[in-house]
Amino acid sequence: MAHATPHKKRKGILGGLALATVAVGLYWSLIVAPPDAYQGEVQRIMYLHLPSILTAYLSYFLVFVGSGMYLWKREKRDDLLAHAAAELGVLFTALTIIEGSIWGKPTWGVWWTWDARLTLTAILLLIYTGYLMLRSLIDDENRAASAAAILGIIGFLDIPLIHMSVYWWRTLHQPPSILRPDKTPWETVHPTLLTALAISFVGFILLYFYLLSLRYRLGEMRQEIKALRLERGA
Amino acid sequence: MTLLRQTYLLLCKDLRLELRRRDSLLTMFFFGTLLLFVFHFSFDVAPDKMAEMAPALLWLAFLFTGTLGLAQLFQAERDNHCLDALLLSPLDRGALFLAKSGFNLLLMILVELVVMPLFWILFNLSNWNLLPQLFLVTLMGTVGFCVLGTIMSAITLRARARELLLPLVLFPLMIPVLLATIRCMETVLRTGTFADAAPWLRLLLGFDVIFLTLGVLIFDWVIEA
Amino acid sequence: MRLTVKKLAKSYGFLWALRDFDLELPPGSFVALLGPNGAGKTTLLKLLAGLTMPSAGAIELDGENFAANSSITRGQIGLLAPADHLYDQLTARENLRFFTALYNKSGQAGMLELALEEVGLAGRADEFAGNLSAGLKCRLSIAKWRLLDPGLLLLDEPYGVLDGSGIDLLEMFLREQCDKGHIVMMASHHVARALGLCSRALILHQGRLTFNEAKQTPWSSFDRAFGDFLPRGGS
Repeated sequence: MAHATPHKKRKGILGGLALATVAVGLYWSLIVAPPDAYQGEVQRIMYLHLPSILTAYLSYFLVFVGSGMYLWKREKRDDLLAHAAAELGVLFTALTIIEGSIWGKPTWGVWWTWDARLTLTAILLLIYTGYLMLRSLIDDENRAASAAAILGIIGFLDIPLIHMSVYWWRTLHQPPSILRPDKTPWETVHPTLLTALAISFVGFILLYFYLLSLRYRLGEMRQEIKALRLERGA
Repeated sequence: MTLLRQTYLLLCKDLRLELRRRDSLLTMFFFGTLLLFVFHFSFDVAPDKMAEMAPALLWLAFLFTGTLGLAQLFQAERDNHCLDALLLSPLDRGALFLAKSGFNLLLMILVELVVMPLFWILFNLSNWNLLPQLFLVTLMGTVGFCVLGTIMSAITLRARARELLLPLVLFPLMIPVLLATIRCMETVLRTGTFADAAPWLRLLLGFDVIFLTLGVLIFDWVIEA
Repeated sequence: MRLTVKKLAKSYGFLWALRDFDLELPPGSFVALLGPNGAGKTTLLKLLAGLTMPSAGAIELDGENFAANSSITRGQIGLLAPADHLYDQLTARENLRFFTALYNKSGQAGMLELALEEVGLAGRADEFAGNLSAGLKCRLSIAKWRLLDPGLLLLDEPYGVLDGSGIDLLEMFLREQCDKGHIVMMASHHVARALGLCSRALILHQGRLTFNEAKQTPWSSFDRAFGDFLPRGGS
């Protein structure tokens, strides 16, 4: 059981670094960067919104990799990775939607619209929530892991198809909306804007991996407890 | 024995069992028809509006009816641990996948052949001449539904609340098929031809091919004792 | 049929259900697989049957690696569940026809009829398997496996559902298999009967093989090894 001090120390450093970067990013986003010419202060939520969705996509990619590796090598750690990544993916996707909604109300006047990007994000949330439900409803752990791995792979492979179909649908049938929310005005990009975004993005990635390592360790500990219990009982 | 011959053997067995158990086809027929009645009471609109909504309503009916079929798909194998018997044998698991999705496809085609004309009759629609084309599009969509649905049915086999879980995991993944099929059918009804809907048809075909191939290749991992 | 198992292991998560399992069986072996509940007997049988994939180790049948030629070698391995593995809504004859076709063993015309006759089911060939009693289903299973003729036949606690004549029929069938040079492995709590039939006994305990010997009479080493697992009723 060699999960002693070296791992904990590394995680601590990662956590500290993540917190620091996010703090700097927040400072930059809220104070240093100027408000947007068209949208005003509301635009600042983009510094959270864009990193959120990108982190979510990273998460789903990790679910795909973990699922594939688990089906191939049947090593428990790949399954633990996939499960942890799925939970975080759902978290970050939900955050993205909430942030998008908060941005949407003052900008478009509505809490929700069925534009391509929002719809896609909602579908992703549904798919991976389904993944988590599948895991929780199968009692046998190994079967749950295998079933979830299949869903993890199929879900990820389906994403491009879902992406295509939703985008075609929304571009072929233009809804009578006032603003096209797919485009953000990047024409006159202030350098501080990009810096703020970059720092935020790095901060989010670091935060993500920190949370992932924590969640992974949690899964690992559960397994260790289970093994200990059974060994002692037998 | 080749993949196709094994598939054929299993299909024949399933058809024979279905004739005797009668737990799938009749239920699906009645449910599909029942939904049409529910639609009538839910949508109090003019006939031309109904014609516009026909593809969407039909596919709602097929989705739910098809899910019933999927939930029943491995039922015969659950009794007496027959699934173990199949997995024990030299059977290629890809053949099991093809046989089961083929079986569900067959059931759904039979239901669709009845429900589509019935829709036209109950809601007084004209343009009967377009039905063959509409049916062709529906067929392509149904293939996609059956292949992906069979995989989902297999992985949820031992889950609790299976009847709820199956649609939960299947429906979001079905969105490309749903969009493609319904938009295609709308185009056919509007213009009388497939021409404008070519990209949708390609998407459908791509979906069908991808998941059919994937199913055959990975069913080994999907179905476990 | 010769069976060789090397360092077979199976883990579920971080728990090992079977570990360091080595076995070498010559043709015609009848193995009694014994041990307390949870020892790993069912896991071992499932691994040998190909229903579960091992975490480590290899299984060889007649020198052929099991995992590599999965489809082919699966046809040589059977798992006899006395009243299971039969379709209730197919007739006795249809069940036999289906499984022989599945195993690529549908040969001569009268083959099925002969098999049914041998187990005394000739008169009930057209009845649904679901309508047969457990004892008759067992006979149907025996007919099935006689037709499929596996080189390695596995049984998991067969004595539970069987009546007297069922037991006689089963044991006669198993002896026939061994006489042909095939291997039979039977997991059972019915120690007395199992020992009577076997040529070798294995004892599993907590996933490890703790006893592996060819039969002797008298068998004091076995009595010593197995004594720990016998019930300690008052005397």
